[in-house]
Amino acid sequence: MPAMGATTVVPVAETAADDRQRFTALVEAHLDGLFGTALRLTRNRARAEDLLQETFLRAWRSFHTFQPGTNARAWLYRILMNAYIDGYRKASREPEVVDQEDVDEFYLYSRVQESEDFRRSGNPEEAFLATLMDADVKAALDSLPDPFREVVVLADIEGFSYREIAEMLGIPIGTVMSRLHRARRRLQVALWEYARRARYARADVPPAGGGGR
Amino acid sequence: MTELDCEQVLRMVWEYLDGEMDEARYLEIQAHVQACSECGPRYEFQRRLRELIERKCREGPVPADLKQRLFRLLDA
Repeated sequence: MPAMGATTVVPVAETAADDRQRFTALVEAHLDGLFGTALRLTRNRARAEDLLQETFLRAWRSFHTFQPGTNARAWLYRILMNAYIDGYRKASREPEVVDQEDVDEFYLYSRVQESEDFRRSGNPEEAFLATLMDADVKAALDSLPDPFREVVVLADIEGFSYREIAEMLGIPIGTVMSRLHRARRRLQVALWEYARRARYARADVPPAGGGGR
Repeated sequence: MTELDCEQVLRMVWEYLDGEMDEARYLEIQAHVQACSECGPRYEFQRRLRELIERKCREGPVPADLKQRLFRLLDA
């Protein structure tokens, strides 16, 4: 019904329904990713559901502050990370983990190249990567301390930039980079262990890389 | 910009794969990696490893009942 006056009065109920509709569309597009991230962060289905619900409610409450046209995904993930930091993770300090001296950026590559077992296949890299199942990679990631796991999830799985991650976590970009470097080294050590165990268990061959028990 | 040696190239592998460097440097490293038998396979392995982590850690869609429960919160 066209309004004849100079001003159109929109009933409150209509704008509220409008908001709900816009919010629903915006969140729906990112819900799968948010849920997966919540799962990787909390490592627990029930806690992931709680975190997702908390994120959803916080996003709805602050929806009026969202600027249309800006990055909705980054906005939602920032809310998710805040909710997670507030209620789900223990330490916010830099993890006091001693890095292993002999572990460098190419730890896995070197282990795979040195491994008799993987070399026997003719294409050691390929053989190694094919050994890892979903559960192995998830378990290796789950084994990292919270602050390390967070940056790997945001960078490697969700593909955010260092700057975006810095903003989400409220830390300097330099800290994001050093955490990511350390996290990836530790992840490689964990992946090597899982791959050795998997190969031992599934292929009935001795653990790769020597150092057997 | 002075030419990078292998040690410098290898140190920048993650920044390269994360797309966190300017274009000139990116192209320089790309050219080095394509020509270098030391750096080439290492870069390729890291790239595949990064891709594998992403692929293996992805979760399926959010369960329908959870989604329904969330959107019902808006009616409260």
